[in-house]
Amino acid sequence: MMTDVITMDHIVKVFPPNVVALDDVSVTFREGEIHAVVGENGAGKTTLMKILYGMQEANSGNIFFKGNQVRFNKPGEAISSGIGMVHQEILLIPEYTIWENVILGVEPTGYFGKIDRQKSRQKVKQQIDEFQFHLDPDARVEDISVAARQKVEILKLLYRNVSFLILDEPTSVLTPQEIPQLFDELRRMRDNGRTIVYISHHLEEVLELSDRITVLRKGSKIDTIESSGATKRSLSQMMVGREVIFESIRKQQKTGDVVFDMSGVDYSFPKNRPLLQSIQMQIRAGEIVGIAGVEGNGQLELVNIIMGLIKPDHGKIEIQGDDFTHASILERRKKISFVSQDRANMGSCLNASISENILMTHHRLNSRFSKWNGIVLEKAQINKFSEEVRNSFDIQMDSTDAEMRSLSGGNQQKTILGRELSLDTPFLLLDQPTRGLDVGSIEYVHEHILQMKDEGHAILLLSADLEELFRLSDRILVLHRGQIVANLETEHTSIEEVGILMLEGGAQ
Amino acid sequence: MNIMIGLINGMIAAATPILLAALGGTLTYYAGIFNIAMEGMMLSGAFFAVLGSYFFHSWIVGILFGVLGAILIALIFIFFSIFLKVDEFVTGVGLNLFAVGLTTYLLRQIFNVKGAFTDPGIVPIPKIQIPMIQNIPVLGKILSGQNLIVYIALIAVIFITWLVFKTRFGLRLRAAGYNSTCLDTSGVSSNLIRFHSLMLCGILCGFAGSFLSLGYVTLFTENMSAGRGWISLAAVILVSGNPLGIALVSLLFGFADGLGLFLQQSLPSQFTSMVPYVATLIALFIYSIRKKKKEALI
Repeated sequence: MMTDVITMDHIVKVFPPNVVALDDVSVTFREGEIHAVVGENGAGKTTLMKILYGMQEANSGNIFFKGNQVRFNKPGEAISSGIGMVHQEILLIPEYTIWENVILGVEPTGYFGKIDRQKSRQKVKQQIDEFQFHLDPDARVEDISVAARQKVEILKLLYRNVSFLILDEPTSVLTPQEIPQLFDELRRMRDNGRTIVYISHHLEEVLELSDRITVLRKGSKIDTIESSGATKRSLSQMMVGREVIFESIRKQQKTGDVVFDMSGVDYSFPKNRPLLQSIQMQIRAGEIVGIAGVEGNGQLELVNIIMGLIKPDHGKIEIQGDDFTHASILERRKKISFVSQDRANMGSCLNASISENILMTHHRLNSRFSKWNGIVLEKAQINKFSEEVRNSFDIQMDSTDAEMRSLSGGNQQKTILGRELSLDTPFLLLDQPTRGLDVGSIEYVHEHILQMKDEGHAILLLSADLEELFRLSDRILVLHRGQIVANLETEHTSIEEVGILMLEGGAQ
Repeated sequence: MNIMIGLINGMIAAATPILLAALGGTLTYYAGIFNIAMEGMMLSGAFFAVLGSYFFHSWIVGILFGVLGAILIALIFIFFSIFLKVDEFVTGVGLNLFAVGLTTYLLRQIFNVKGAFTDPGIVPIPKIQIPMIQNIPVLGKILSGQNLIVYIALIAVIFITWLVFKTRFGLRLRAAGYNSTCLDTSGVSSNLIRFHSLMLCGILCGFAGSFLSLGYVTLFTENMSAGRGWISLAAVILVSGNPLGIALVSLLFGFADGLGLFLQQSLPSQFTSMVPYVATLIALFIYSIRKKKKEALI
């Protein structure tokens, strides 16, 4: 018999002026279960958890913890009641060792506040062993992997005797190989009597891991169901309110001339550490080429070289036959649309308005947005253009004059895509275009990418999501330690093959 | 030999206020505050130290007043930067200017003098003769007979090192600087830690100021801190906050200062008083080159 630990009762949250983030949501979490909360971006998953955790205040509704009504005013209070949250962005101190990070805030001390190192390390070590986390308490956090850092976050909460853990999209930072391990650890914690709330929009994960699933859509709770009876299809239907197609949606089509041609590109930094070696690729009009690879194998450098942010040591870049190796960034932008994976910094300016964000780059390349040689902007033209982009990309917003910051992640990405795709350049460079987006938005972005392909654009797609690469690309190049180790026709390969190549490189 | 001893003692005396202020600065540096108000704290400390010493005929009250004077500036800094969230640099610059104005105004109002106030009624902080050690030839004249504040500064180096690296407060202090959100979510208010670090910085700068006006000399002159707070900031940045490093760098600056005085015999004083500032610039220059090299290696 499972008892209820936390009941959230009729929670309403309105963000000023009139965005309803949560509309009368009631959920009950039971002791010793893994309870997934799923929903599209902006559905209210994170907001719901932040209210529970005391990071945000609900406008109405009550929270009951073990039968008593509670209201946490700050995270510290939630933690001391035994509720902990692992956030999307990892919050640790890189300069500290694992044990120092774990004890921070609840330090065992001796005389005059001197930290009892021996006891601290001992306690942390004990906990690591208990949950089989395989960590060295003396390792510095900056030296360990992202997956290990996440474990340290969890450890930190366990050290504080937290019995109710909230994890906000924990797998978004993990490689495919690390995910099963996390799941084992979470199951082990559940079997130890802890309750785990798992926020995610990866349906396979949710189905594999959780006992029960609560689905949110646009701030309303759709239902809480047992995972055993659910399928990916039924869940996604609940999430988006319609059926989402998961099959490959590529169409065979004839490709045209070579648009993008990169040859013999080397890049080392510093001099003795090669980050890219003899990179060779050709992309034809109407072709999507995907780059697969574990993060940190040269993707960042490749993108920066194509965009002209860093200069390659050797090699050549040609677009439609013209040499772009030494072209200025503005010159490049006439031929390249670029969606950066760094949405908040490189892709947009969060403090600027939405219409300003839509206008960026266009105002340098298109004279209709300004008069007097680019000195004065043409407000009317700009407004018209932003409205066009807004409509054709279905960006949800109050007004184009609102700050970019006010949009949800998915809508920010749509704004950036809208800007870039309407540049109508022969070559498109898309770096993780759907990272952090929900199923509905991903589908939408994919449709747009495929439409660009149909129109005869050459597209280079970098993605950490292999399914995405397989869905969209005609060819997949595998990047391993700065080298392209494979050039595969998507038709004639499999996720497993690419996965092995990503990890082990070529067939040496 | 006497010149050497004189030079070394001059170096120690010149290093002491920089060292104390830099130790205060290192605490705020670790707490992640861009604190440039050491200059103002020190100046205010120097003025109030003279005030206390003169009116109460006691150097102990003098130091107490000096510390309170520096804390006054620290509290204003806390009010603006922590509570009102004003930019720390702007607050710091404002406070440094304010300290000059305040002390100059009070000097004229209270003591009715312009420029400098000196009076036999100001009781200086005593020099400490250490028995036994003072009789050692040469070394005794350096190790013993220094101003009380010099010994306090030495103890402060050890204490601050211990505080920052061995204690709970130190762990939290550095956490506040490295990642304050992490500290906050660990249940410790980073603002409270910053408050403490600024108060401690105020106390240390108070000692530095007291030393300037009751130890180094026994008088107060307008703007007598003369950029030492800025030099201490340079010292903190130069060694990335390491207290022992700060002690060494302070001695180096002290040496430059002493050297300046020594060179006055042959060079115009306008040039010799530049020496510590030129040394600061050179040190920062070397630091930036070294940092660049280090980054290239990564």
